[in-house]
Amino acid sequence: MLLVIAYSRAARQTLRNACEAHEETVVRRLGRAALFEETEFGAFLALRLRAEYGVDVQVERTAPLNEFETVPDGVREAARAYADREHASTPYAKFASGDEYPDPAAMKDREL
Amino acid sequence: MRLDDGETARAGRVVDARDLNLSRADAVAAIRRDATAVTVECPEPGPAHERVGDVHPEIGVSIRTALAAAARSRGHTAPQADRIAEIESELAELTVPTASTRPERAAVADRADDVERLDERVAELRGRVQALRERDAETDDVEADLAAAIQEFTAAKTDLIAARENHEAATEAARAARDARERRMELEDRLANRRRAARASLADGLTDEYREAVAVAPWETPTDPFQVGDVTAALAVARVADLRAPVVLSCDRFADPATAADWLDAAVLRL
Repeated sequence: MLLVIAYSRAARQTLRNACEAHEETVVRRLGRAALFEETEFGAFLALRLRAEYGVDVQVERTAPLNEFETVPDGVREAARAYADREHASTPYAKFASGDEYPDPAAMKDREL
Repeated sequence: MRLDDGETARAGRVVDARDLNLSRADAVAAIRRDATAVTVECPEPGPAHERVGDVHPEIGVSIRTALAAAARSRGHTAPQADRIAEIESELAELTVPTASTRPERAAVADRADDVERLDERVAELRGRVQALRERDAETDDVEADLAAAIQEFTAAKTDLIAARENHEAATEAARAARDARERRMELEDRLANRRRAARASLADGLTDEYREAVAVAPWETPTDPFQVGDVTAALAVARVADLRAPVVLSCDRFADPATAADWLDAAVLRL
């Protein structure tokens, strides 16, 4: 999908208008952002905003995350285990203090 | 005021120009110092003049907005004024870097095209060398072309990698620059909210006087002062405002221009 984010009041208003006029291309509206279908028309709407407002409009292309394809086993397992932790108040850094789960700082340094 | 259209000059608190061939637009522009087709010497218009200083049968008035301007014309200030000034100066000081990634995006696409074109050229030359060999023909020239193409292809790939790296760096910079944009929009939203609240509070302060003005109008008016026609609303707001400059009046609500000037407590230029 195409993620379009407005960074000025004028761009936000035009994005709103575009969303109202082209519901069939809008997958989701999120305040001052919107997700457009990844079609030529979706790109047309996004580029038309960028042409008018320049850097005040951010356009990103999103893709679903398949964790089995992209995310290392250790990270997936840690996420699952942390979600099932015994005490809701345990921060992850403390939860991962043994050797069993990856260290948060180390994860931050590693790109997917 | 002193009106001079080049042929006729008239002066006084009330000037009746109905017999002169004077357009509303020219008269208003002269009073507001926007243009000088005619001359109107008068004090500079206050903040309410823009809303209710030119009253004609087709006027459109937002009563609350006009009342807020009337309150300003009389020197009233809103409780939000200090905060508004603070936000305005914060906005003025905010530097928003321009971080367009357009050249980098275009460069990546161009370099990728080069790579593809040269890749095809290398494949084509390889095919020709192969075909010549099968026929035991001379291959030296084509092989020289192939070597040159391979060299160009390698250089183009290097350029593409560099373009991609530039694009990534520019994208990172643009993301950082958006923090300032985010802050700007937040401030602008806050400013718009405060300004709206300020207008409401200024208008509230004059509501009673406005209601009274509508009630004492020398023509038939509805009981609800917010359900009146636009001309009545404009005249009632003009009465409570301090217009400073003359009202340009082109409607028949008063017996004569002098009565209008008395009721409005303002100078009147009747067209």
